[in-house]
Amino acid sequence: MILTTVLGFILIILGIWGMLTQKNLFKMVIGFSILDSGIHLVIVSLGYIKDKTAPIIDSDILANNASSQVVDPIPSALVLTAIVIGLAVTALMLTYIIQLVNTHNFDSKNMKDPLSITSYEELKW
Amino acid sequence: MVNPLYMFILFLAFGFLFAILDKMGRKVTLTLFYGVLLANFIIPLYWIWGIFSGTTSGTEISTAGFMAPISINLRFGFEEIIIVLLVNFLGLLSAIYLSDKFKKSSINGMILFMVLLMSIDGLVMTRDIFNIFVFLEILSIATYSLIAIEKNRDSLSAGFKYMLAGGIASAFILIGIIFLYRFTGTLNLDDMIGKSHLLVGKAGFLSLYLFLFAILLELKPFPANGWALDVYQAVNEGLVAIIAVASSAAIFFVLYKFLPLVPSEYYGYLGGVGLVTFFFSNLIGLKQKNPNRLLGYSSIAQMGLLLATLSILKSFGSNDLIIFQIVGGLFINHFLAKAALFWLVGIVKKNDISAWTNLRTNPSLLIFLGVFILALSGLPPFPGFWAKWDFVMILASKGSYFSIIGILLASLFEITYLFRWLGFAMKKTDSTEKIDLPISKEFPIAISAIALLVFSVVTTYFFKEFSFIQILPLVGLVLMYLFGYLPVKVKGFVAIVIISTYAIKLYSLVSGLELFFAAILVVGSLVQIIATMYRSGKREGFYPFLVMMIIAIGNLVIAKTYLSFFFQWELMTIASYFLIMKGKEVTSAGLKYIIFSMGAAYFIMTGFAFAPVIPAINLSLINTIGMKHIGILSLSLLSIGFLIKIGSLGFHVWVPDTYNKADDDTTSYLSSIVSKAGIFGFFLLAVAIVKNASLDTELLLTIIGWIGVMTAIIASIMAAFQENVKKLIAYSSIGQLGYIILALSAFNHIGWLAALNLTLNHMLFKLMIFLAIAGVIMRTKTTNMYEMGGLIKKMPWSYISVLMGIIGLSGVPPLAGFGTKWMLYNALIERGWYLQAGAALFASGIAFLYLFRLIYTVFLGQAKPEHKDIKAAPLWLLIPQYIAIAVVMLISMKPILLLKPLSEMISVYIPTNLGWVGDKLITVNGYWNGSQVMNVTMIIFGIPFLWMLFITRKVQKVKQFNIVFAAERPDRPETTHFAHNMYAHYNKAMGFLVTPKLAIKFWDRVSEWISSSGATLRNFYSGNGQTYLLQIILYFIILYSIMGGK
Amino acid sequence: MIRTVLIYATLILMVIIFFPLLSEIKPLSQLNPLAKRYVEDSTKNLNSPNIVTSIVVTYRGLDTLGEVTVLFLATTGIGFLIKRRKKNGEKGAFQASEILQTGSLFLFPIIILFGTYIFLHGHLTPGGGFQGGVLIASASVLLIMANVNIKLNHTVLHFIESLSGFLYVIIGTIGLFLLGSFLDPKFLPLGKFGSLFSAGAIPIIYSLIGLKVGAELTNIVDSLRAEGMEDEK
Repeated sequence: MILTTVLGFILIILGIWGMLTQKNLFKMVIGFSILDSGIHLVIVSLGYIKDKTAPIIDSDILANNASSQVVDPIPSALVLTAIVIGLAVTALMLTYIIQLVNTHNFDSKNMKDPLSITSYEELKW
Repeated sequence: MVNPLYMFILFLAFGFLFAILDKMGRKVTLTLFYGVLLANFIIPLYWIWGIFSGTTSGTEISTAGFMAPISINLRFGFEEIIIVLLVNFLGLLSAIYLSDKFKKSSINGMILFMVLLMSIDGLVMTRDIFNIFVFLEILSIATYSLIAIEKNRDSLSAGFKYMLAGGIASAFILIGIIFLYRFTGTLNLDDMIGKSHLLVGKAGFLSLYLFLFAILLELKPFPANGWALDVYQAVNEGLVAIIAVASSAAIFFVLYKFLPLVPSEYYGYLGGVGLVTFFFSNLIGLKQKNPNRLLGYSSIAQMGLLLATLSILKSFGSNDLIIFQIVGGLFINHFLAKAALFWLVGIVKKNDISAWTNLRTNPSLLIFLGVFILALSGLPPFPGFWAKWDFVMILASKGSYFSIIGILLASLFEITYLFRWLGFAMKKTDSTEKIDLPISKEFPIAISAIALLVFSVVTTYFFKEFSFIQILPLVGLVLMYLFGYLPVKVKGFVAIVIISTYAIKLYSLVSGLELFFAAILVVGSLVQIIATMYRSGKREGFYPFLVMMIIAIGNLVIAKTYLSFFFQWELMTIASYFLIMKGKEVTSAGLKYIIFSMGAAYFIMTGFAFAPVIPAINLSLINTIGMKHIGILSLSLLSIGFLIKIGSLGFHVWVPDTYNKADDDTTSYLSSIVSKAGIFGFFLLAVAIVKNASLDTELLLTIIGWIGVMTAIIASIMAAFQENVKKLIAYSSIGQLGYIILALSAFNHIGWLAALNLTLNHMLFKLMIFLAIAGVIMRTKTTNMYEMGGLIKKMPWSYISVLMGIIGLSGVPPLAGFGTKWMLYNALIERGWYLQAGAALFASGIAFLYLFRLIYTVFLGQAKPEHKDIKAAPLWLLIPQYIAIAVVMLISMKPILLLKPLSEMISVYIPTNLGWVGDKLITVNGYWNGSQVMNVTMIIFGIPFLWMLFITRKVQKVKQFNIVFAAERPDRPETTHFAHNMYAHYNKAMGFLVTPKLAIKFWDRVSEWISSSGATLRNFYSGNGQTYLLQIILYFIILYSIMGGK
Repeated sequence: MIRTVLIYATLILMVIIFFPLLSEIKPLSQLNPLAKRYVEDSTKNLNSPNIVTSIVVTYRGLDTLGEVTVLFLATTGIGFLIKRRKKNGEKGAFQASEILQTGSLFLFPIIILFGTYIFLHGHLTPGGGFQGGVLIASASVLLIMANVNIKLNHTVLHFIESLSGFLYVIIGTIGLFLLGSFLDPKFLPLGKFGSLFSAGAIPIIYSLIGLKVGAELTNIVDSLRAEGMEDEK
């Protein structure tokens, strides 16, 4: 068990908790972000090998013996993609919230909170 | 061959460039946009051509100059090519549909659309699991963005819920992928499949499960799919067509690619997920009125069915070709029909399916709706039909009873809501509201319909190796449709020519019992076509379906396999449904008809599924069905199916309504011809039972016999209490069919002989009565008997026809009906069924009541003043009646002409114990000489008749209105008429037998219970995005605890 | 209440379900064969010292193209969602401090330079196109923070975005044309190990990605800012 992996999973559960319990749309997105970060942490931690260094060949690492000196480069490559994708989704979610609030009817009679997920239940069944 | 990567390059390069190119004007980008879409449709088309011409068999593409496990590779094999072709085809059509949006909204719309299609193609082709994730995310993000093509609150909130669910799915898939990599040390799918033994322990299973669950979630399994329904409901239809069809297809294909990695013991669970989804989505869909959401339920259900078929077949270890045929068939069906239906919804713009009547202002759209609904319902000749058949056959061979029940029940639900929709569109009160229809919106729908039809015909004709005569019903349909613009008389004539030609061809193919049934069904129909010409105008859509129905029924007789029998059976059902829908106010009757007919069809299908495959000899089913012994389960299922079709007691509830609401000449067909198809089915069964002597069918036959008797009694009583003349005859028809199955189930030579005779008689008599009454209804413009009366002088020809009909039906001498009844009682006594014989006699007694009422209240008594200028029935109606009368007279005078050959046909199956002396038929119980009976009766009847004429020659005739009334006016004048509630006193005596209306109550309860359980279940979809999330995660946990830990 | 209990029960069950992923996974002690091949192959065949870069740009280049597409989609999607409205006059509800204003002007070129350095040396040192691009975008964010009313030139941003994306695809296609494999960077000379102009087309691709990411992220932030300000009124 690697501490980072454990930490990653704690973040994952925490993120899910946020998405399930917070009514505020922004907080739900924050929950999603935490979930995403947790996953990224897990990805990176799975490629880690104790006492090994970054997979970049330089004067300290001999090219012909590199494979015994570096950590797994694949998770690092994957996490890059995952981060970018997570960022794109988060940005889009935030934009959606802005637009949802824009469609909100700011009427004094309308008691609905434009930022609460419970205000968007018109479609059902 | 063009490298398929050029599709990606085209999509992406132009996607990136469009923001700049748009500065040169929207025309430039629009042209390029459609150019790119077209090019990307042509590339896979070119590959398909290559595959069929044998120059290629697909390809593997690696990237970055390295081979597979190191770099990402893509596959462009047969399956991939087909799906990419379909996806890009749909993309092109959808883009055409959305063209007005693309013209107006920002350039980003087009960019997003192209990238969306690229990601779908990528998902299909890639062989790398992380790459799957990347394409999945591109797909999701492009979809999320495009949802905002309509910036209203509904689509935005649906989009947000979609993002939450999609976010969870992508989180799970990512965790799954990284652990899969950790276990196997590779990301390449093929490489990983080779190393799947490394996935050990709970963690190994969990990593598989995480990936699988995310894919499943994207396929919207019940009940974790509330978000998807909201998306289907709120988002622009042009886009939903892509989401529901193309995206789902790609994700489904990902699952297909991933399955080899999953240990086969889990396939059953996946099948369960699919079945549950298919069943419950259709159940909940029953309550739905909004067409978008309705299609949403249907789409989700169809994806569930696809999932179920794929995983169940895989778990059976079926070979790839079979999987390809079944899953592929369902897939193409769903793909083309569902997308086009979404487009259609976008055109009609009605939020309630009952408001779809404006579709009638555009007949072509209505036809398309019909085509798509037939396709989705799994009716022939569409691909879904073959797939469903094959699948049920396989399930039966493996004994998966629950799967069969679930799939067929759910299909019935689906048929119910789809046909309700179609019924509303065809028949609800007229609307003159025009549909605004630019060509760009109709074009994609038309192309889909044509593609679907072409595909169906091609598969039917080439792959299923159906001969020309087997698809003749469809050819007839199209042929008659081409004559649509002609007046009724000409079309009727053309129909007669077509059916005559067909009848001559059929005659060369049949012998024995086949010949008998072919004659009854086809010649009987042919004669009645004359009657249909009594209408004026064009009667659009009537003759095509009439011709289709007649040929399909004729083909039933010569069908050589279960499948081809069932195929014709379904064609007959479709055609008769559309004929019924020509009537007025027929929405609910038509719906009842199709539900019961399809229910019957499913019983028949499962009956065949559990029957052993018959040897492939070039003979029709009736000759081969007994060659392998059919078990009791299969026989029972088939019996139930045929019992429903002939409307036996308990299943009769659909008959009166349908017969009443259909056009009068259609009703005649339904009663005299279509119901005989069920009787033919019973003869098939009977032959199968005869050939399997070792089987104990005593119980089955006794039950069927009793059902027959009780049907005869109850239906006769019901008939006697009807005010509506068509309902009266309808109940009469039910009762008469009861006699037929009673006679048949006696299972001796004379019983069968009686059954065949009854069949012929019933066809003739019902033809006469229904057509005569059709004339009366046409002239009096009412169906209530108390509003008729005294028509004997105005319509003497119709009177004679009805008189002959009721003499025949009641079984009194001298007409053929008497001999038939005599044979029936003989058969029952020979069998030892004394009680049944007594009951049948009782039923015959009651039959007198309604028959008397029929002739008395319609033709006798005082004529109504408003009927004083009434004319005789049109000649068109009279001709077939008198042809029938001629036949009746012939077989009544010389019954031996008919009986002897019939007896010979039967003796092939049951040896005869009858003797013939001259015209005399001798049975174990006595003898009957039809000709003599005729002569004797004629004399007994003739002498008093002549005497009466003689003594009444000087009687003064009293004019109808030379009496004075001095009475107040009652609230409901008809209640004082003698013909109203005519048998009130009998009602007191026997009414208790029929007043509880148990059958109607039972079916009402069933339908109410089903729809209310659907309504309860759908409360699950609360509309709250967070609740949906919770449902998803709970679903994750529950499915894991069901599947996990092995 | 029931709901709360259900949620916490759900979370506890999730912990239980995920637990084997922690308990059954043993820490790695050596590279798996695939990773080993990457490490060895990267120096031999691609002449690129940064193995992660080799994987990102070359071996898994299709992923990266997809990743670039995702970002592109995000900006396009946000642009599609948010219709930019003409803003008029002052908006300065919030005025940045003088330190921030002055500091940002000083830091802006330096950060841009640093970002450029990072993506140009993506194949040699830690970092690459994405990291460089994010740095560039952070410079823009700094600028926006310092001056809320600043107007960025969207035409230029879009132009950079579109063109760099297009060129990336074109470079990939050149590989397909010359070497028969999409995204193959080896059509350019591999150069001397460890020098700036080495590793085939990798530096060019990473530079394009850097430019693209920088422009896109700036765009996203700016779009959200514009809309957010609209809202405060």
